Amino acid sequence: MSRRLSHSRDPRTTKEHNGRHSLTQESLADGHRLTRRAVLAALGAMGVVAAGGLVATPGTAQGQVFGQNESVEEAMKRLFGGKTIKDGSAAIKLDVPFIAENGAVVPISVTVDSPMTPTSWVKHIYVVADKNRIPVVTRATLTPEAGRAYMGASIRLGETGDVRAIAEQSDGTLLQVKREVKVTVGGCGG
Amino acid sequence: MADIGKVRVRVPSSIKPGDVVEVRSLVIHPMERIERDPQGKIIQKNYNYINKVVVTYLGKTIATFDTTQSVAENPFFSFTFKATDPGQLKIQFLDTTGGRYEGTADIKFS
Repeated sequence: MSRRLSHSRDPRTTKEHNGRHSLTQESLADGHRLTRRAVLAALGAMGVVAAGGLVATPGTAQGQVFGQNESVEEAMKRLFGGKTIKDGSAAIKLDVPFIAENGAVVPISVTVDSPMTPTSWVKHIYVVADKNRIPVVTRATLTPEAGRAYMGASIRLGETGDVRAIAEQSDGTLLQVKREVKVTVGGCGG
Repeated sequence: MADIGKVRVRVPSSIKPGDVVEVRSLVIHPMERIERDPQGKIIQKNYNYINKVVVTYLGKTIATFDTTQSVAENPFFSFTFKATDPGQLKIQFLDTTGGRYEGTADIKFS
C-alpha cells in the first residue's frame, strides 16, 4: 500500500511542484500588485485613523474640558481664576464619610444655606477631590426653582485626601469647605 | 451590559404643594475610567462616561450636573425641587458616546 501510495504520489508531487512553480510566479506578480494595494490601503487607513484621531481628540478634549487630568491647584485656577474663596464652614454642610472603605463609591451630599430666591441663590456647587487624577468631580448648576441648595452624588476617591465643596452664589461669592476622607481601597483606576 | 441606561427615580410618596422635595436618581452606566498603557501614559480615546445630567420639571430646567470620570460607576444623584404644580419631572443622562437615558416621575399631590 505504502509503495503504491508513494508511486502514485510521486508524479502528483512533481505535477504539483510544476503547478506550484507557475503559481509562485503568478503569486509573485500578484504579490507585487497586492503590496502596492496593501501600501495604498495602509496609507488610506492611516489617513482615516489620522482623521479619526483628529475628530476624536477634540471630542475627548471637549468631554474632558471640564475634568482634566491635572493637579488640584491647576483645576482651582482654571475654574475660579484668581478669585478669593472664603471659608464657608458656617454656610455649607458637606456630608461625606470620614472613612471610605471603598473608594469606588463614596456617597457625598452638599447643602448650602441659601434662601434660593431669584435675587440670591446658589448658582453652582462644585465637588473637588484633591488627590484624584481628575480633581473636578462634578459641578451642579442650580436654579431658584430647586428650592434648596442641595446636591448628592456618588463619587470615586483615588486615595486619602481632602474633599472640597465650593459654592458659587449668584452674586459671585465663593465659599468653600473641605474635609479629609480616609480611603481604605482606592477607587480610581486611572 | 443590557442594563446600561436603566434609570431609577425615587420621589417621596406624599408631596404637598409648595414642598421642597428631594429626588434620588440612579442610572446604570459603566463610567469608564482612564486607562494607561504599560508606560503609564494615558490612552487617548473617547471614554464612555456620563458628562451631563439635566433635570427638568414642567418643561423647565431646574438643575444640571456636569460630571467627570471621578463620578462612581452606576452614578447616583440627588437634588431638590420645589413642587408647585402637578406634572412631570424628567431626568436625562447624557454620555460621551451620544447616549441619552431618561427617567421620569409624575408629581402628584395627595
